[in-house]
Amino acid sequence: MLPRMFLRHPGHPDLDPAVAYPKAAHLRTALTGRDWAAGRELLDDAEPVERTSLIQICGRTPEIADLLRGVLRENPADGAAGALLGTHLTAAAWAPRRRGRVRDLAAGLREAERVLIDAAARTPADPAVWTARLTTARGLELGQSEARRRYDRVAAVDPHHLPAQRRMLRQLCPKWGGSWAAAEAFAHEASAAAPAGSLSPVLIVDVHLERWLTEKAHLRADAVRTEVYDAARRSVWHSDFRPTHGWVEVMNAFAVAFGLLDDQPAAATLFTVLGELATESPWIYLGDPAGTFVKYRDRALSSVGGAR
Amino acid sequence: MTEQFDVGGVPAVFAPAAGPTHAGLVFRVGVADEPLPHRGITRLVEHLVPAGHGATGTEHTFFHVHGTADEVRAFLAEICATLRDPSAERIVIARERMRSGRPGADLLPMWRYGARGFGMPSYPEFGLEGVGDERLRDWIGRYFTRGNAALWVAGDAIPDGLTLDLPDGERRPAPAPSSAPLVTPACFTGPGDGVAWDTVVRREPRAAVFANVLERRMLQELRDRDGISSTVTTDYEPRADGSARITAHAGAPPEKRDALLGGMVDVLAGMRAGRFDEEDVAAVVALTRDGLRDAESRGGRLPGQAFNLLAGRPVQSLEEALAELDTVTRDGVAEVAGAAYEAGLLMAPTGTGADWAGYTEVPATSDSVVEGTPHPAINRTDCRLVHGAEGISVVSGEDRATVRYAECVALLAWADGGRQLIGPDGIAVRVEPTLYEDVAPVLRDVDARLPAELRVDLPARPADRIPSPPPSPAEPVGRPWWRRLRRRRANG
Repeated sequence: MLPRMFLRHPGHPDLDPAVAYPKAAHLRTALTGRDWAAGRELLDDAEPVERTSLIQICGRTPEIADLLRGVLRENPADGAAGALLGTHLTAAAWAPRRRGRVRDLAAGLREAERVLIDAAARTPADPAVWTARLTTARGLELGQSEARRRYDRVAAVDPHHLPAQRRMLRQLCPKWGGSWAAAEAFAHEASAAAPAGSLSPVLIVDVHLERWLTEKAHLRADAVRTEVYDAARRSVWHSDFRPTHGWVEVMNAFAVAFGLLDDQPAAATLFTVLGELATESPWIYLGDPAGTFVKYRDRALSSVGGAR
Repeated sequence: MTEQFDVGGVPAVFAPAAGPTHAGLVFRVGVADEPLPHRGITRLVEHLVPAGHGATGTEHTFFHVHGTADEVRAFLAEICATLRDPSAERIVIARERMRSGRPGADLLPMWRYGARGFGMPSYPEFGLEGVGDERLRDWIGRYFTRGNAALWVAGDAIPDGLTLDLPDGERRPAPAPSSAPLVTPACFTGPGDGVAWDTVVRREPRAAVFANVLERRMLQELRDRDGISSTVTTDYEPRADGSARITAHAGAPPEKRDALLGGMVDVLAGMRAGRFDEEDVAAVVALTRDGLRDAESRGGRLPGQAFNLLAGRPVQSLEEALAELDTVTRDGVAEVAGAAYEAGLLMAPTGTGADWAGYTEVPATSDSVVEGTPHPAINRTDCRLVHGAEGISVVSGEDRATVRYAECVALLAWADGGRQLIGPDGIAVRVEPTLYEDVAPVLRDVDARLPAELRVDLPARPADRIPSPPPSPAEPVGRPWWRRLRRRRANG
């Protein structure tokens, strides 16, 4: 059952999510080959979380806007095309922000949001559309209650939709107008509601890492430490844990947390499974993601007498 | 079955109805006819008649009574006598009655039409205190006449001996809505926690059905599913020119105003995309059918029929109205929804805006600034008043407000010396002696240039309502909503 990558010898990691999720590579090929029928079929066959993630990953593919606009002209009710185009435009809008062009960001997000408004109007039960609209809501600063409304629309269809939960959690952090109390409450609630062995307890790690960014002492608190271990026991360490879509991001997050807690054996349990499957987030919090991943992985594996 | 008749030249409709006789006398005059300085003059006329009840709308004003045949005859006689010769005492009493019941402001008309015609319902009744008895009589003489009236009666039979001793006068057609250059779908930010939306579409049964389907969808989404709003209403208001105004309102607590806006944007987008069912349309059509039958049995369709008489439109029988309703289809309503969306104007809750959702913000500043003498604002470097031969501008940062004398529609003159000029687009410029340097000649010039009929004299404001310059550059102090409407910063 385990993906082929599990068996690879650890080397230098590739951050492209398509390494872990081959369907993403197939979808990219379909999009760049302008074969929407193939892309749509691939998305239609995916589980909800997988579908949302594929849309998030492949929305970053350059120069797909014309294809998707053409699809929507023919069939405005194609929710998958709407979600992809909205995600693509959102990603394109965020990109120049690193160069400080805030005005372009808002204009780009508005364009994305308009596509997503129409997609939501026509396919109101599509979690990928509402997940994408959580990102635009945050960037356009549409407010906490609006973000919550959008999250509730996802949750009504799929109560444990991790891509939406992670976006809602960011919105609830102080940086985006929320509070640590609200963010932590959301993480605990979503984690407790999820079935044993699922991915959602990673939200506990997410919120503590987010807080650690500005309060370095935060992870040293016993209560926080306990919460991270509890979360791991309900998720990546649980016997029901399965590598369902999203598992790579989740294991990487736990690996970062245990690395920062300096529990090398705990981190090693995750690195052993991950091999070279690194993700950009949350390693980017610590510096160059691939380099940091390798450094933490080597430290963890050598402490337990592993490969290096 | 509706019967048409005539009372001394006044067209009339009668329909049999159970219960006491009721009658209404309607005149083709409303708030849209009022010039801004005389805003409220029509309702003042309505209040001259203490008996029965009345209503002043955008295009029509009516007096209405229930009672015996004798009471109806006496009521109509009293209206006519009052309109022929309103006593000074009655005018005083009417002003007093009006002060206690001022209607709440609907801000959408002003943002759509400016400070004229169909924009008038948004404005305070500036004419309430200042309109003299002479002008009131002129107003009555122009609009409350035999030629500009229609009557409706419901009951067992038309009472014998009805007479309407009204002054002679001609029919005054409803004004045409001004074609302000509004880029729609448009939005502006309102002063409260609620959202409001209006649109103008063709007047037809499927448009009325659309308004009710919209209300159903708002209830289903905003109240039942999201739990954001428990106060949701829509309204369909036919107009004499063959158009209809549709409005929608929804309220929410302050902490949910962002979600209310987002939810409303999505409801409207869903309507545009045709996301409603045959079932929604069928339910509304069935309710409308019941409503029409019920109204017919009570004479409730008569006011609309009397309005139609005044507009020269045919009087429709119940059967005709029901047959028209039967032609309404889901696709037809969806077509209206598309047109309604495109012509829409959305009022976002305070602290929010809807430009992110594809609505164009209605400009709240002027295109140009007059040439003239600058008067710097006291203690502010980013603000100045410009006094020219053509008019006045206030420039504050990037905001510009200009009112040209030739276009000015009202001059508010406070006894403490402050002045506000209002332009036809609704943009206002304040000339405050306390805020600008060397402004006395400007005030004299403004008073001299603008004709007396534009002037609204207002009592001196309490000291805390007179703006004062900031000790250092800062925002101006708060003001009543209607002075803040179109000018958030430039008045300072």
